[in-house]
Amino acid sequence: MDEEHFDVDPAILRGLTEGRLSRRDMIRYGGMAGLSAFLAACGVSGSSNTSGSSGVGSASWWAKQKLHHKVNFGNWPLYVDVFKGNHPTLQRFTQETGIQVTYTEPIQDNIPFYTKIRPALQAGQYTGYDIIVMTNNSPALGFLMNANWLVPLDHSMMPNFDKYAGPLVKNPSWDRGNKFTMAWQSGWTALAYNSSVIKEPIDSVQALYDPKYSGKIGMMADPQELGSNALLALGIEPAKSTPSDWAKAQAKLKAQQPHVRHYYDQDYITALKNGDTVISMAWSGDIFQANLNSQYRDLKFVFPKEGAMFWTDNMCIPKGVQNPKDAMKLMDYYYLPDTQAVVEYYVDYVCPVPSAKHVLLHPTGWAAKTLKMMRPSIGLPTSVTADAPTVFPNAYVIGLSKPYYAYKNQGQLTAWNNLFVPITQA
Amino acid sequence: MEAASAVGIARPRRRRRPLKVLSPYLLIMPGGIWLIVLFVVPLVTMLSLSLQTCNLGTGSCTMTWHWSEIPNQLSLYHTQMLTSLYFAGAATLIDLVVSFPISYWIAFHGGNKKNFFLLMLLVPFFVSFVIRTIMWQFILSDHGIVLGSLKSAGILPQSFHVLATPWAVIIGLAYNYLPFTALPLYVALERIDHRVIEAAQDLYASKRESFLRVVMPLAIPGVFAAFLLTFVPAFGDYINQQILGGASQTMIGTVIQNEFLTYLDYAGGSALSVVLLAIALVGIFLYARVLGARTIEEYV
Repeated sequence: MDEEHFDVDPAILRGLTEGRLSRRDMIRYGGMAGLSAFLAACGVSGSSNTSGSSGVGSASWWAKQKLHHKVNFGNWPLYVDVFKGNHPTLQRFTQETGIQVTYTEPIQDNIPFYTKIRPALQAGQYTGYDIIVMTNNSPALGFLMNANWLVPLDHSMMPNFDKYAGPLVKNPSWDRGNKFTMAWQSGWTALAYNSSVIKEPIDSVQALYDPKYSGKIGMMADPQELGSNALLALGIEPAKSTPSDWAKAQAKLKAQQPHVRHYYDQDYITALKNGDTVISMAWSGDIFQANLNSQYRDLKFVFPKEGAMFWTDNMCIPKGVQNPKDAMKLMDYYYLPDTQAVVEYYVDYVCPVPSAKHVLLHPTGWAAKTLKMMRPSIGLPTSVTADAPTVFPNAYVIGLSKPYYAYKNQGQLTAWNNLFVPITQA
Repeated sequence: MEAASAVGIARPRRRRRPLKVLSPYLLIMPGGIWLIVLFVVPLVTMLSLSLQTCNLGTGSCTMTWHWSEIPNQLSLYHTQMLTSLYFAGAATLIDLVVSFPISYWIAFHGGNKKNFFLLMLLVPFFVSFVIRTIMWQFILSDHGIVLGSLKSAGILPQSFHVLATPWAVIIGLAYNYLPFTALPLYVALERIDHRVIEAAQDLYASKRESFLRVVMPLAIPGVFAAFLLTFVPAFGDYINQQILGGASQTMIGTVIQNEFLTYLDYAGGSALSVVLLAIALVGIFLYARVLGARTIEEYV
């Protein structure tokens, strides 16, 4: 076997299924020797960072960086405070620091976004973003860390984080010592039901597997979410599960399959709202946001007694970064209690800064002015957000929070996917 | 052989010979390069990739001659493979039944407007087939212009729906691939010598008999060509299922698309593609055995 490796643009690989082939690349490919040798030789190798930047993220590297007064922040949709088309927290940041923020919402899902920025990372180029937000339950964050494509953070620039970050997001299991990431928001994946249809109280994941609701059950298509849910239903802690547990979980999901309406992505919430489903796997923040509208007050989020999967979306700096110092400033700015209070009033996911609760109850200065300004468009007092256990978790729900399984190697991830992906593609 | 006979021939002609020998190769070069670059290279890449082990994170793959990937993927997704066979088969059958009379009529009764009628068959192709399929989704939606009005008129029950059923996918496939069936059938029927039919009638064959024993046998190669041209692309189709189908009608094309784009399993996706390709090749091979390779080029 030839030891040579060739870079292949993912566009080519996509082209295999989409019929979209880059001719230039194919000619480059075509020039490579005889076909039999080619068959063995075309190991598609991803070179990790060819820019020769071994020192990226080191103290000396950080010391050389300067503020550029601009930063590109790529986030998920509807994930920051909005008021009349503006983002008050970002406006304040620009006013105070003079750093212009280009805030975009390109991330719909972890893996597709990861494949979009991967060619740039592989080539050692700028991805177009100084900050991106990746979820810890998706393999994408691990991929970025393993390939050494994230810039280690400058811990001297994280005073607010050190002071205000809560215990759920400080030194987390997926990024010990917060070497690469700072949490943006967290949330739970558990279940929600329509209490106008289902009258009996629900306190268990088992309800999702009850044939009583046949045809009205919504499950998630994401294999990590789906598999973890079945493990919880079997009374197994996902993080401590073994491959033989996974097989049992698969059997449970197979038995459930005829009763499932659909395996949803983000649109599970639409199905729950319009009545296609009456009980569904759900994310905490979505249900809380839906409850703000009086039409959907009947939707109830459940913290099942077996536990709820706890995930965190993490801000991180991809390599090839152009404005690292500006990025650090912005990330740390979001750990001010004032800032988080305003974000949470709109977003309603789990706040990484517990003391923002106090700001929501007793705001002063800029926060008081901004929260008051947003009040008519939100429609509920700030105390509702402050008292929600889904935003500021109490000891009870923290106790129910379960971490995801951490794959020890790629073989495990493949095994997991091969068990749970086919179920969603019946 | 030519070179050997050339030895005895007078010298002056010798200078021109290299070019003469090369000229057929030069002439096929543009087509050959086209074929190698756009067909052979992607194909070999796919075959190769299906035998490699890939790092899901970086997408880097190394050759491990991992033959077990193919049976492994088949055991994971054989249901979807069978669904695709069933959908594509049903759609092809519908297309054959629907387009035979159309092609027959154009070929035998189209007169001097034949080309106009053929153009009419192709007119829908001037619009992207994704857009046409989305329009069908709009037309067939549960409370859309067709079902909605039938339901409000009380003709159909409220719970009746077409979308998200196997039939929606089959009808979508049949609709989109109809011209691929109709055109080869037309070519086969159009070239039937009318005198042969007249001869059959001279020999006291009834109309039915002359159709069954003269026209049909002569149209069979066209039917096979139509079958291949419709069945093979319909088998791998993933648009119709995604737009018109529901959760439980996933076709193998969608599975492959997801393996590549959602789960980054390039080896698995390639392995399934290889299976898909093998099924298509078996079909073409059978065709060539039964009817000879010559007829393929005539009808395609």
